[in-house]
Amino acid sequence: MNRFYQLPTLRIDPTRKKTFTYLGKTYQGVDGDTVAAALYANGIRIFARSLKYHRPRGLYSMDGECSNTCMEVDNIPNVRAENTLLKNGMTVKAQNVKGTPEKDFMGFMDKMSWAMPAGFYYNTMHKPASIWPIALKQIRKVAGLGKLAPDFEMTGKYDEIFPTADVCVIGGGPAGMNAALAAAENGLRVILLESRPWLGGFFEYRAAQYQNETPLFQRARDLAKQVADTPDIRTFTHTAMVGAYNNNLITAFQTGGADDSFDQRYIEIRAQSVVVATGCIERPLLFENNEKPGIMQIACAHRLARTYGLLPGEKAVFSIGHDLGLEAAIDLFDLGLKISCVADIREDGQDPDLVEIMRRKKIPLLRGWVATDAHGKKTLNKVTLSTLQGTRDKEFACDLLVASAGMTPVTGPLAVAQAELCFDNHTGFFLPANLPVKMHAAGRMLGLNDALAIEASGRSAGLLAAADCGSSVDTSLNEARADLENLPGPVKGSKMVTAPVKGDKTFICFDEDTTVKNIKQAIKKGFDVAELIKRFTSASTGPGQGGIPGHNLPLFVAQYNADPDVSAKPTTIRPPLVPTFIATYAGANHDMCKRTPLDALQKKAGGVFRRIGVWSRARYFSQDFTCRDEIENVRNNVGLFDASTLGKFRIWGPDALKALQRVYVGDMSKIADGKIKYSAMCNEDACIIDDGVVIKRGENDYYFTTSTARAGAAVEWIRYHTRYDGWNFNMVNLTDALGVINLAGPNARKVLAKVTDADISNDAFPYAGYREFKIKDTIPVRVMRLGFVGELSYELHTPSSYMPALWEILEDAGSEFGIRNFGLEAQNVLRMEKCHLIIGAESEQRTTLHDVGLGFLWDRTKTDTKTVGAFALKQTEKQDGRLKLVGFKMENSDARAPRDGSIIVDSKIRGYVCIARNSHTLNEVVGLALVDESLAETGTKLEIYEDECGDERLYAVVALTPFYDPDAKRLKM
Amino acid sequence: MALTITCPICGKRNGYEFRFGGEEKGPRPAEHELNPETWCDYVHNNNCAAGVQNEWWFHRDGCGSWFTIFRNTLTNLEVDGPEETNE
Ligand SMILES: [Zn+2]
Repeated sequence: MNRFYQLPTLRIDPTRKKTFTYLGKTYQGVDGDTVAAALYANGIRIFARSLKYHRPRGLYSMDGECSNTCMEVDNIPNVRAENTLLKNGMTVKAQNVKGTPEKDFMGFMDKMSWAMPAGFYYNTMHKPASIWPIALKQIRKVAGLGKLAPDFEMTGKYDEIFPTADVCVIGGGPAGMNAALAAAENGLRVILLESRPWLGGFFEYRAAQYQNETPLFQRARDLAKQVADTPDIRTFTHTAMVGAYNNNLITAFQTGGADDSFDQRYIEIRAQSVVVATGCIERPLLFENNEKPGIMQIACAHRLARTYGLLPGEKAVFSIGHDLGLEAAIDLFDLGLKISCVADIREDGQDPDLVEIMRRKKIPLLRGWVATDAHGKKTLNKVTLSTLQGTRDKEFACDLLVASAGMTPVTGPLAVAQAELCFDNHTGFFLPANLPVKMHAAGRMLGLNDALAIEASGRSAGLLAAADCGSSVDTSLNEARADLENLPGPVKGSKMVTAPVKGDKTFICFDEDTTVKNIKQAIKKGFDVAELIKRFTSASTGPGQGGIPGHNLPLFVAQYNADPDVSAKPTTIRPPLVPTFIATYAGANHDMCKRTPLDALQKKAGGVFRRIGVWSRARYFSQDFTCRDEIENVRNNVGLFDASTLGKFRIWGPDALKALQRVYVGDMSKIADGKIKYSAMCNEDACIIDDGVVIKRGENDYYFTTSTARAGAAVEWIRYHTRYDGWNFNMVNLTDALGVINLAGPNARKVLAKVTDADISNDAFPYAGYREFKIKDTIPVRVMRLGFVGELSYELHTPSSYMPALWEILEDAGSEFGIRNFGLEAQNVLRMEKCHLIIGAESEQRTTLHDVGLGFLWDRTKTDTKTVGAFALKQTEKQDGRLKLVGFKMENSDARAPRDGSIIVDSKIRGYVCIARNSHTLNEVVGLALVDESLAETGTKLEIYEDECGDERLYAVVALTPFYDPDAKRLKM
Repeated sequence: MALTITCPICGKRNGYEFRFGGEEKGPRPAEHELNPETWCDYVHNNNCAAGVQNEWWFHRDGCGSWFTIFRNTLTNLEVDGPEETNE
């Protein structure tokens, strides 16, 4: 297809070709083409088949206001081809077709429309209920347009930003640009959003005169230049506003350009004041077969030529209701389009200059005429025009029908901002009657048509927004208002909704294949409000929401009812205002994880890493995920474990002890020097939330640890529970500043003794002791003798920067004792054999301190400390019906271990397995479970049900704990 | 999502930065004053005002303060509290 290469309005670069495939065939487009424009340039007229009747559909609005041009692009379904710029190598497919869009095997559905009146599914599937499952399956098959492959994975780069501005202007047309400039002139920071890839709006592609021989498109470019030269205006193009929330929070989605680091970007804007200048779209003209490919709106035809250099057809008929239609007809005629006839719905009121030009150019004009039917098997070949009353008609052969009933404002942004919209008789628009505070509307959406008036209106709205931000704008605002008053006001709009036709094939909603006949059927059934008819007929529930049917549906209902009490009310629309990928909402990948100071060393040592909470941790050190060697080495020799993820805190100050007393269940006033105190924290319900140790390092100076999972919330928790007290204490989270190595196993002392001069004999540094000394005279360590894995062990805390060195020193010193790493899973088995708990693994939200057998940690004498949970600890101490933590072994010694999380049942659910493993140390399966009190007695048989195990059960018996070293000799070695 | 909160230390910030800490109910009664009913009232029962309420917020992604603000639960916007009276 020949393209215009010389028009000054073009947004394409014909010298830069782009190759893409459509239905397996290779085509060429040019730089700047949208997918839709490129297809049109290659002669494609049918882009898709409609949802219900599989009718052929083509270009209609060029702004993606309906599903006609939703296509599959690079395997992503429902991409709006009119809004998506062509990229090299794109693969494009049509949707909702069996075969090709030209030859769709479901095309017969169109003949079946008589069998599917409005509310078909409601009525037919209503009774009996037994039909639902079958009907569901069948409906699912035909419902929806695009298809996702089951193994589909979304590709692309998604980003998000949260900018603030004084004024946010929605719409980058002449009004929006004027508003932005006016606000910026007052020193305010402005964000300007425009849904197309460039600024200019209705001026942008038109060659008609603006003023003094300057064409409109030149004016648009001048304004855009001024905007670009104003540093306080931040412009986002190709950015569709999609939501408005209170506090003037505006959300939008931006499509990235060739130079951007993202494909799509979520934008959330906080602005003090908002100007909405989203202009108008065209109101579709309703007549028989009004969506046949070859029929398009004025701006669609006009922009095909002016923006993309494509003559929209060869021989055209126009059926319009607005001067823009006459202007477009003249312009397209000049560009070479043959025009058989222009039918104008209006009997009079046309711009006399335009009428005169048409007369000179011999373009036939019929006033008070309208299209009533479009013919052609798949695409248009003939149009019937008739008088408004349908008294006379004429037929014209053509391949293009430019059809438009008039203008309708893009009120979506106002609607989602909860503005009240009222039908205005003069303009035939829904106009804002009551705007939210600090929100202003401007431009063509108010019914203005005069170029200067549109600009003045934008300027005045920008000044009002500046006033919202505290600028004094009285003088300039008065001037702008005076300007506006001297310019032409809102123009009278055409209110015709439908041509004089029965409406069997007159589509009011393209997305949902809803016809005028369907609306009449709904009204006959008693639905009298557009909002309800919308639900019954599904008109305007498609991806375009209110785009195509938004204005016509309420208008038609009001006119059809001819009921003065039913004034036209727009149907509700909701964010997002345009179809958007979930991926864009999700934005950037927030999944950040922390690495311990030993990350690199452990990776080198063959660590198999897993994401655990916020951390990436070494879970295994071989491909044997039962960790037999790691475990046996800890039990028999000595192992090294990276425990850096533990929460570590310093709390100090005159009231530090009071704060500890408040949150720990134990008596923190009784911490001996050089000793560690193990304790727990509960919430007010006595449920255990954390355990750890506390050390007193000096007067009013404590060091404490929390579980890994609790590290992030500890400061918040302590501050919360002391918020009324005004206590004087400080806290600092040292979790990332300090690392921890657990040196554990019967040879641990021998290893440590090699690297320190400190006396670490069992007498000098016994179990539960705390010491501070140096390794190799250099590395300061805080050392705790704990026994989480059930062996002699030293927990060494040291500044993170020393961690790799400390690790290597210990590894070196331990080589003669067979030292080796052990990972998280080995630790998990080791501590489970010893029945040491992990909060969160052996407890859930409702598990109290008593339930897990740690009630002894609670000091009931400290009643004046207001200990968090103390009252509930008293109340739940002897409470019935609780789940208790027990140990268990399998009934048959050769039975396998049940999966973690399996359920314990009899006739009801009685608890669950927290952890179970085949213990190499004990040579049998052992585990921990939370079970109903009645099953907690040692020797009780437990019936275990695993997910999807059918009738098979595993049987276990409650056993004495701990399983390993019950006399606790080994950790005191 | 539109909520902004004024932290006494950091000023007006995006609501995403904060964690909600419940209605302002005053300090917890002492242990000897508690019975199951008063305990339950304090810990679990809320007024759930439809309108302005005084409530606690934590500046999690900021300075780490706990503080109270007044918020209109109908509009989900921070509002000025009742006039402070001089004793
Ligand atoms: Zn703060």
